[in-house]
Amino acid sequence: MMEVSLTAGAIGKIMNGEVTTEADMIPVLQVTDLKQIMAQQDPTRERFRMVLSDGTYLHQGMLGTDLNNLVKEGTLQPGSIVRLTRFVGDVIKGRRIVIVPQLEVLKQISDIIGHPVPGGKHNDQRGADSGIKFNTTEQQGSGIRQVNNIEPGRSNAAISPQVGGTGSSVPASTTPSTRAYSNPSSGNGVTRQDYARDPPTSYPHQPQPPPPMYANRGPVARNEAPPKIIPVNALSPYSGRWTIKARVTNKAALKQYSNPRGEGKVFNFDLLDADGGEIRVTCFNAVADQFYDQIVVGNLYLISRGSLRPAQKNFNHLRNDYEIMLDNASTIKQCYEEDAAIPRHQFHFRTIGDIESMENNCIVDVIGIVSSISPTVTITRKNGTATPKRSLQLKDMSGRSVEVTMWGDFCNAEGQRLQSLCDSGVFPVLAVKAGRISEFNGKTVSTIGSSQLFIDPDFVEAEKLKNWFEREGKSVPCISLSREFSGSGKVDVRKTISQIKDEKLGTSEKPDWITVSATILYLKFDNFCYTACPIMNGDRPCSKKVTDNGDGTWRCEKCDKSVDECDYRYILQLQIQDHTDLTCVTAFQEAGEEIMGISAKDLYYVKNEHKDEEKFEDIIRKVAFTKYNFKLKVKEETFSDEQRVKATVVKVDKLNYSADTRTMLGAMDKLRTRDANSLPINPEGSDYNADVVNTGIGSSGTRDPSSVQRRDFGLHAHQSGQSGNHYSGGGATTSCNVCGNSGHVSAKCPGATKPQEQGQYMGGSYRGTTGSYGGGLPRQHVGSY
Amino acid sequence: MDTSSPSAFVNGALLRRFIGQKVRTVIQVTGSEIGSVVGKSTDDLQIVVRGSSPPSPLTTYLEVIGIAESDNAIRAETWTNFGNTFDTQNYNELCKLANGEFKHLFI
Repeated sequence: MMEVSLTAGAIGKIMNGEVTTEADMIPVLQVTDLKQIMAQQDPTRERFRMVLSDGTYLHQGMLGTDLNNLVKEGTLQPGSIVRLTRFVGDVIKGRRIVIVPQLEVLKQISDIIGHPVPGGKHNDQRGADSGIKFNTTEQQGSGIRQVNNIEPGRSNAAISPQVGGTGSSVPASTTPSTRAYSNPSSGNGVTRQDYARDPPTSYPHQPQPPPPMYANRGPVARNEAPPKIIPVNALSPYSGRWTIKARVTNKAALKQYSNPRGEGKVFNFDLLDADGGEIRVTCFNAVADQFYDQIVVGNLYLISRGSLRPAQKNFNHLRNDYEIMLDNASTIKQCYEEDAAIPRHQFHFRTIGDIESMENNCIVDVIGIVSSISPTVTITRKNGTATPKRSLQLKDMSGRSVEVTMWGDFCNAEGQRLQSLCDSGVFPVLAVKAGRISEFNGKTVSTIGSSQLFIDPDFVEAEKLKNWFEREGKSVPCISLSREFSGSGKVDVRKTISQIKDEKLGTSEKPDWITVSATILYLKFDNFCYTACPIMNGDRPCSKKVTDNGDGTWRCEKCDKSVDECDYRYILQLQIQDHTDLTCVTAFQEAGEEIMGISAKDLYYVKNEHKDEEKFEDIIRKVAFTKYNFKLKVKEETFSDEQRVKATVVKVDKLNYSADTRTMLGAMDKLRTRDANSLPINPEGSDYNADVVNTGIGSSGTRDPSSVQRRDFGLHAHQSGQSGNHYSGGGATTSCNVCGNSGHVSAKCPGATKPQEQGQYMGGSYRGTTGSYGGGLPRQHVGSY
Repeated sequence: MDTSSPSAFVNGALLRRFIGQKVRTVIQVTGSEIGSVVGKSTDDLQIVVRGSSPPSPLTTYLEVIGIAESDNAIRAETWTNFGNTFDTQNYNELCKLANGEFKHLFI
């Protein structure tokens, strides 16, 4: 079978009326579709409607009934190439249809040539194809097709006269030079143009590689008929038929749902175009199936024909009042050529300082340096489900830091990556898109379903942040917007006893929970226990003090009952001391038993029932000078007009020397490295006396000492928030640890006898009766770590 | 407390600095014979300890106080069993600090 090629431009001519019968031209076309329809006049006869293509455009045609058998036999089928030996292009009811009483089938089976698009029934309706210019050269009369050159949508108004409406007038000049790829072989080829609608309005020019030229070969035209592309921001429910070109910035997972109306599935994706317009696209059920696999984040697509509806602001946080819903008429076509004009993502970053004043539940984009990150914890919600949660601290140039909470998958994916980066000493940049502001212990930013996290992104802002951090950010203290950790457990905060007073622990609204490592000095042995109500209240005994009824029974006011046997519970007043200070604490039952090594009841009996003084004293004596890690709850209470800070022992732990030593070594390391990058000394940094503020690691919280140490504190550093203050200043105390005066560092101390290697210590924290150390250097328990 | 003859905390690497002087260290016992005990120092170097009366039975960790004879041998005067669990890393750090940054706090 010889090579057949379609008559280029034939459809165009038929459509504009240039060619109406075979007298004008005998075109070779391809049948792209065949459909049987009911003939209106004669319902018994079948008629076939076909779509004819010249490789570029499609047109409706009707097959003459005489030719029906061709279809039935299979000679004529979709894909067949035919020569219209007799036809009429007629306007019926305002539509031009090609009626073909006679044709010749040149090739029965063939693939569809080219990418023909509907030519439209009427000239004026080729909205999608506006601006197409045709450049066809052909030789009249010979019917041998030539090159079909498709000019990409360039508004070459200057080059060739644009023929509006019908293109019947032929510009005589051959201007092969104007089209770089005119076919020179037909020197006198007539440059024809199909009409051009209105000069193309604003649509991006898609430069296409000029199609190769073939002589005597069919057109391999790729008709990319650039549709009329409008900016995303211009979309509205009244837009009519529109096409947008945009990049996918986000794609949600395919979700199944069931609601009162039934079940279904849905997915959505977000688009961003060259003007910065963003919009969300949603697909349901069959449409979702159709497009789900096709959409890839980062790719460019041309999308047309969907419906616009108001955006659901609860879920859709893009800046657009509308969102698109696609249906089966919608088309999505991928653009393979890159378009650098369309960014990959768009952010509207706010500084962390701004967040402070923003409302809760606002959605915001933020970018900052991750100064610390903690491991994932599992939070059990009220409804019983367990969710992973991970928090980190983000700092930026506004001098503020905020806690960013990751939920769900972010914890393990981005969270883990951030953790590894931080552990290796890097401070990565993190950009959060669509994070929600919430108020929980100060302001925090949380991830939501549609959030996206970007680690060390390639943005200008990221560069700026990194530079700022290197220069100053590392050491400049940041005020935290997030006051305390909101974790599920209390993190072990080490303090020295002197810090209780110094930092005014317990004086804020909430109690402070700290751990001190101290020795029991003295135990008050009168009233070491009380008579307690044993009645179970849920899973705990009431434990309220019961009064003696005199008859051997005991009455509890709270339970409003009397019992025969009361419980004995510890209420130990202890004096404990560490190397900085001493204080009195109260220990109750559980801690008491741990300390005493004997139950309260037994001890009571020893003393009062058995009256075994010796044994009693023995026990008491053993307790003195035992050292423990006390977990204390410190709170200020009012006792008849007097404010007193009281400490209760919540838990008592035996010292683990090995672990404690390691911690100490670690703290020393940090102290050393911190001083290696010593900060400018600000004598008047804080509200406190210079000799009072503990600049031990992390306890000042807002300080962001050098890299290594900062990391391990994670949330510790914000512990100072517990004391209810935000340390704002540089905070580096200049109290001299040699003479205890402020204003200079020990290295410059007039009284110093030895060179100081350690840099700064908290001077005044050395207090109490712990004796003096030789050498004039108090050994510092380095703050909290 | 008799502070007349203080001993420096050493590990394997520091021992050579104190040859002829009194040192103390903790080793992990790897072998023992009559009159000598061989062990691993807290920084994983081998140390030989000679002397009369090592305690028996020996526990895994042993502290010896004596005169350093060479960079890997000590002539012990005092032996103390330190038990079977011991944090060598902490001890090693102690040795380093005691002879380095915080030397002035010790001997």
